[in-house]
Amino acid sequence: MTALLDIAHLTLDYATARGVFRALDDVSLSVAPGEVLGLVGESGSGKTSLAMAVMGHLAGNARLAGGCVRLGGADLTALGPAAMRAIRGKRIGMVFQNPATSLNPTLTLGRQITEVLERHRGLSSRAAWKEAVSWLERVELRRAEALMHRYPHEVSGGEKQRVVIATAFAPHPDIVLFDEPTTALDVITGARILDLFHRLRAETGVAGLYISHDLGLVARVAERVAVMRGGRVVETGPATRIFTNPAHDYTRRLVDAVPRPHRRLVQDEPPPHEVLRVEALGVRYGRKRLFRKRAEGGGIASVSFDIREGEILGVVGESGSGKSTIARALTGLVRAGGAIRLDGVPVTRMRRDYRRAVQIVFQHPDSSLNPRQRVRDILARPLRLYGRSLDEIPTLLRQVNLPGEYITRWPHQLSGGEKQRVAIARAFAARPRLVICDEITASLDVSVQASTIELLLELRRQHGTAYLFITHDLNLIRQIAHRLIVMREGTLVDRLDIRALGSGHEHEYTRELIAASPLPVGEETRT
Amino acid sequence: MTDLFRRLLRTKQGALGVVILLGITLICVFGPALAPYRPDHMDYVSRFAAPGVQHWLGADQFGRDELSRLLYGARETVPPALLATLAGTLAGAIVGTLSAYAGGRWDEAIMRTVDAVLAIPGLLLALLIASALGAGEQTALLAIAIAFAPGMARITRSVALAARQEEYVAAAIARGESGTRIVLAEMLPNVIAPVIVETTIRVAFAVMLLATLSFLGLGAQPPSSEWGLLVSDGRAYLHDAPWLVLAPGAAIGITAIGFNLLGDGLRDALNPRDER
Amino acid sequence: MSLAWLLRRLLLMAYTMLVVSVLVFAITQVLPADAAVTLLGQNATPAALAALRQELGLSDPVGLQFWHWFWALLRGNFGTSMRTGLPVGPTMFTALSRSLLLAACSIVLMLVVAVPLGVLAALRRGRALDLLAGLVSYLGISVPEFVTATFVLVVLADRLGWLPATGYVPITKHFIGGVRHLIAPVLTISLVLIAHVARMMRSETIDVLASDYVRAAELKGLSRRTVLLRHVLRNALLPVVTVVALDVGYLLGGIIVVEEIFAIPGIGRELLIAIQNRDLPSIQAGALIMAGTYAVTNLLADIAYALLDPRLRYD
Repeated sequence: MTALLDIAHLTLDYATARGVFRALDDVSLSVAPGEVLGLVGESGSGKTSLAMAVMGHLAGNARLAGGCVRLGGADLTALGPAAMRAIRGKRIGMVFQNPATSLNPTLTLGRQITEVLERHRGLSSRAAWKEAVSWLERVELRRAEALMHRYPHEVSGGEKQRVVIATAFAPHPDIVLFDEPTTALDVITGARILDLFHRLRAETGVAGLYISHDLGLVARVAERVAVMRGGRVVETGPATRIFTNPAHDYTRRLVDAVPRPHRRLVQDEPPPHEVLRVEALGVRYGRKRLFRKRAEGGGIASVSFDIREGEILGVVGESGSGKSTIARALTGLVRAGGAIRLDGVPVTRMRRDYRRAVQIVFQHPDSSLNPRQRVRDILARPLRLYGRSLDEIPTLLRQVNLPGEYITRWPHQLSGGEKQRVAIARAFAARPRLVICDEITASLDVSVQASTIELLLELRRQHGTAYLFITHDLNLIRQIAHRLIVMREGTLVDRLDIRALGSGHEHEYTRELIAASPLPVGEETRT
Repeated sequence: MTDLFRRLLRTKQGALGVVILLGITLICVFGPALAPYRPDHMDYVSRFAAPGVQHWLGADQFGRDELSRLLYGARETVPPALLATLAGTLAGAIVGTLSAYAGGRWDEAIMRTVDAVLAIPGLLLALLIASALGAGEQTALLAIAIAFAPGMARITRSVALAARQEEYVAAAIARGESGTRIVLAEMLPNVIAPVIVETTIRVAFAVMLLATLSFLGLGAQPPSSEWGLLVSDGRAYLHDAPWLVLAPGAAIGITAIGFNLLGDGLRDALNPRDER
Repeated sequence: MSLAWLLRRLLLMAYTMLVVSVLVFAITQVLPADAAVTLLGQNATPAALAALRQELGLSDPVGLQFWHWFWALLRGNFGTSMRTGLPVGPTMFTALSRSLLLAACSIVLMLVVAVPLGVLAALRRGRALDLLAGLVSYLGISVPEFVTATFVLVVLADRLGWLPATGYVPITKHFIGGVRHLIAPVLTISLVLIAHVARMMRSETIDVLASDYVRAAELKGLSRRTVLLRHVLRNALLPVVTVVALDVGYLLGGIIVVEEIFAIPGIGRELLIAIQNRDLPSIQAGALIMAGTYAVTNLLADIAYALLDPRLRYD
């Protein structure tokens, strides 16, 4: 069978102030009709550049240095801008990463589908409208007629992504490019979008190019997988083979970095001594003012739990469930009701000894380090505050596996993973008993995530620190946590030992969350 | 600091702005020494002399040398504008920071009032204040400072509130830093950059406002050679001696352009996330 | 846009006007002017002056004076001019109508020039047109109106003789003459506005062009024209609406200068004459009417914004 999409020896350069940067280096891939090819790579691997090259939508400083992209035999790179516009959206559809930003905020959802139908299928506005409504129904949106009149901000993230998918499929394309379509969504929402993807594929037989950083996910949705690194394709092969028997070194590392819930990284049992006990913790957000209305989600009500010495307690739940609010309440960032006990002693005001014992690492590496302080100053603050010597700075850096010369660096000179290491070093400067990790690996690449987790576990072995580990990644938390609490809409719905997972005693919602976090290929049998 | 300067010079606007303002500064410092005549030296033979060898920029209705008046006048135009802006910025920054810090009802009340004052167009407010306090260079300066304060308060507040949202501030609160320490060490260095940019651009506006007030007779008074006043003086002889208006008008424009360029350059240079 | 939102917005405007009137009253209180002296002249006897002060309520406590003044204001009574002896209100509103014509023409010219200029500059970033637009912008925001106005007079009226120098002809009386008299002042005022708005429009357009949804529109294969008109322009215009409203404040300041230079009997010139003559009621009325105009403009801009941006419509 001849390939539908054939990328041959594609080489792409960007002209930058510091010289020519090669984004794609002799990339060759092909997708057969009806086939789904998975494209895996970490940030900077060139996977987005490849998608844009296929779409013929390149930045002004980009230059094709060689190779071609063929769609059904015709070379797309030879087409002029106008001819390419007739291909985009019509023969190659695209689903974007973040539905919140990829829809125009000032146009109705309906208009954003009909404009494509009018352009690519030449429908009249009335016919386009009817067709759009039927497509909204096909992507399982209820009250499609009413939805046509809504604006993006009035519907949920999952609904927005369904509209984007409908827009991609409506012109009957030959192939659809999926650019991390579930990354920006909650676990359960993402799982349902994937279900929709499978169903539409079966119904339409459209070929797909599925781009993602998540090898575990891609292995499930694609027949074949290509792994990219530094602009090159390092390995291509059937999904199961890539996952179970990777040939290339880098692929093997990627496969190893995928969290597998059954491969426990923590074997010990924490001693029964309790560090922190939280009783009936409550936070209420949102108040009405005369001139400004405010209603915020994320509040929590009567949340109780305890953490033992050196224990890893996982907190899971979807966004807006109040996970992060727990972190903010425990660190005094929001006013909270209820009682906190540190070593059995009630904490009425968060004095220095409490602050010192309970440290936090935040989600966003870009915002958690002050851009106007060097690494040395960032680490010096807690040391000085807790009366320790500044001579410990090199030791702190070594502990988090950063070279000593980093003390003079500015945050913007560090990569995301390095920033997060500095933030971890800052927390450990206090020699804390408990470190709250608020989604600290969410914005990191898989391999960086794996090494960050490894670092945390190493620090725990050295210092016996307990972690309150907040995450939405169930596979990850099942590898490291001793116990788990599950949050939903501000209340704690489940509290269970990690070994009790799968025993049938968990809360219905917990079961739903687990079902939405598919196990990596080759692990299903063990559930 | 030297690092910032180097980055500033690397931006096109910044470099040009620095060159212009360096020239203006030299004129402010050495202007009188460079001037060929005294600014009040009247020479009836040279009345309305066109620009030439003897009077590079011509002479006015009393035969005073226009170039000399411009050189002397720089001191009465640029430093007062700087001073007025700094005073207004400082007052506004204090109010804005306090408002952001106080939060709640106080913040609401202060900001609504600031909004209300902002509802009076800047020049009108300066005009009213200048007329209430009596015409003169100092009252014009004060009027501009007062007129600038509310706008600066609003900007400082919004910048401070944005800084408070950052996770590094949350980290400082969580580790138990004192309030002063958080404001001074964590927030201020990040708040100050946009405020400096805004202040620089406002100096340009102050130069223009001050000259406008003089032009309307509410600022510097004759025989001062403040540049706005020079334009106002020369306007009567527009037909016969247009240089009397063109020269000081250009001087005002160039100075304001200098500050605007510097402000834009600083905006680029102060963005820590852009450099690498 | 809900009724509650509109109500809240109107309440805010009322508060603004209250603060403005307190401020204006306070400033005019400080003015070194004695209404009695102004009315009776320097040679009046102390007894006559005292009697008149009593009659005018000038010896009342300040709070009471404010209340009397404010109460009259609420009933639309702005007082009597101390210079002409005529009621201030009608004089000022007639003057305002002339200024509004000037302002409206300037805004229209600004929109016609600045919006396309900003968008084109953004689309041709770093090329000749962009650099030219940048240069014009720097000139526009850096040269004060009184200088621009003088230049315009020198070139268009004095040297080329294309336009009448100064003065005002009502367009209702003599259309061609009225328009000819408007050209120079409108050019002067709009130069600053064009500079500011074109800059803003350029940077907004650059931001919107870089947004995910414009990239998505491109990748949907829409025509360049549809992408620009439907997706870029509308979103780039939104913040500019607010800026234009804020610029009206600047315009009102500029109008004082321009009316003075071109001898147009608008509200700015009336105000300036009042200030020169220490005519308290006229100063108060002029300042209040200008601030009120500005407040109404901002309200209209907020409503326009809410209508254009669906995200705010159901606030």
